[in-house]
Amino acid sequence: MSALYLYSRWVRAWHWLNALLFIVLMYTGASMHFAGGGWLMPFDRAVTVHNTAGILLTVGWIGFVIGNVTTDNGRHYRVQWSGFFTRLFAQAQYYGYGIFHNAPHPFHVTAEMKLNTLQQLSYLGVMYGLMPLLIMSGWAFLFSVSLPETLFGLPSVWLIAMAHLTLAYALVLFLLVHMYIITTGETVTTNLRAMLTGWHREDAPHSSSHQEAQ
Amino acid sequence: MHNRLTKRASGWLAGAVLLSALLGTSSTSTAAIHGQLGTDNSDCLRCHRMETLAYRDPQSGELVDLHVNGEQFGHSAHAEVPCIDCHQGDFGQYPHPAAALAQRLDCVGCHEDQPDAHERAYRFQTIEQEFARSIHATSDSPKVKGFNCHHCHDPHTFRNSAIGQPIAEIVRSDNQLCLSCHSKIREPYSTAHLWLPKRDKHWQAVRCLECHTPLTDLGQPVSHQLLAGKDSNFDCVNCHSQEQRLLQRLYQYRSATDLENSGWLSKAILNQSYVVGMSRSPLLDALGLGVMGLTLCVLIAHGWGRYRAYRRFRQHQLEQ
Repeated sequence: MSALYLYSRWVRAWHWLNALLFIVLMYTGASMHFAGGGWLMPFDRAVTVHNTAGILLTVGWIGFVIGNVTTDNGRHYRVQWSGFFTRLFAQAQYYGYGIFHNAPHPFHVTAEMKLNTLQQLSYLGVMYGLMPLLIMSGWAFLFSVSLPETLFGLPSVWLIAMAHLTLAYALVLFLLVHMYIITTGETVTTNLRAMLTGWHREDAPHSSSHQEAQ
Repeated sequence: MHNRLTKRASGWLAGAVLLSALLGTSSTSTAAIHGQLGTDNSDCLRCHRMETLAYRDPQSGELVDLHVNGEQFGHSAHAEVPCIDCHQGDFGQYPHPAAALAQRLDCVGCHEDQPDAHERAYRFQTIEQEFARSIHATSDSPKVKGFNCHHCHDPHTFRNSAIGQPIAEIVRSDNQLCLSCHSKIREPYSTAHLWLPKRDKHWQAVRCLECHTPLTDLGQPVSHQLLAGKDSNFDCVNCHSQEQRLLQRLYQYRSATDLENSGWLSKAILNQSYVVGMSRSPLLDALGLGVMGLTLCVLIAHGWGRYRAYRRFRQHQLEQ
């Protein structure tokens, strides 16, 4: 049995706040986008709640970036280029093939690196790529009155709306995959419990292929 | 209303005549009123602010109201404009000469003569061209005979909507202009606009002009080409889509109003410039929801594959 304290209190607080805001934003966003459905929030309320949650998400994202700069959590997001593609391929091969054949997990969580290469790449893309773009397009919406009439020859607000919508779909997609991928730890709930307690616990640090499958 | 006004005017006149007779000043006051008057706005308003100042047009028999509300005029778009800039002619004389009285006021001419007329984004000559195509100008109905700017825009009270004015007030006052003639629209059993989803909500939230004027180019305000009901906008997506018609017009103003009134953070949160349907794109929705559905299927299949592998592993363990 090994136990690593990988998720400090601020990381867990940020993660669950972010998760809550994601759910609120998805529901209110859908209520605005598909206005009028029976299970959706009334449009007027959805706008206010969505805007408020979006602003909180921005604050949370800034906090996340500052946290990664000022604490050692940032090291998990630094890409190790040496052997990068080999690890990436191995990870993809595991998810695509090995996992169905009880193959050993190619990556083992350590205090230095809690994310496998594929995880690292997707989190980097989401947190430092999609999220800032989503946040910027959201803020552009909030201050649409200050936007120029057109951007690249197209109505600017429409362009912003399409960008925001595309990013929102991409992030909902991320959330779906994320919620599934976290079940591929040593056990189905290993990663979930780690994000709740902060401790990543495994029965054996270098588990066998049979244990991986569980 | 007219009867009451006539009675009040008669009363004032009778009172003035009686007072003059009692004081024995009838001949001097008549002499004083004849001749040269001042032509400052205050001089004009000395008489014209009287609520009862009116006369009956001998030809039409209609009572012509000559009253100007000084307070409203002071807040109007023309507050700084001397009366005689528009009412040109020898109005310094009383009785005002017939030639001056017969003059037709021309909004477009006056506004286009302004030195900065060519700098306006929305020129009065454009307004004139748009109005010429308006149902108010092209209809054969006797009700609109002689229709001109003043039927909607009282030059003594008209003011542009100002930043800081509540949007509901703008909508109400704008629509009131239309409803002052089109009064039947809002009668309890009126069938007008029954096709419109959430009819009352629309009436509260947007101006008649949003649908009863043609689409304008980006950056152009609402057109003065009022459309007949049958030619008006029945297509929801003109507002509820990428066209952002409302954003350019009413909502653009609303955002500015919010910003002025409540500061940027409140404005950001309570932002109401999002029009239902603005973000709708059938292609993106189909792609987004399609990819999500496909991903969900893949994940379920992946999970099933893992479960099968786990079962094989358990079987293998048991056999050992």
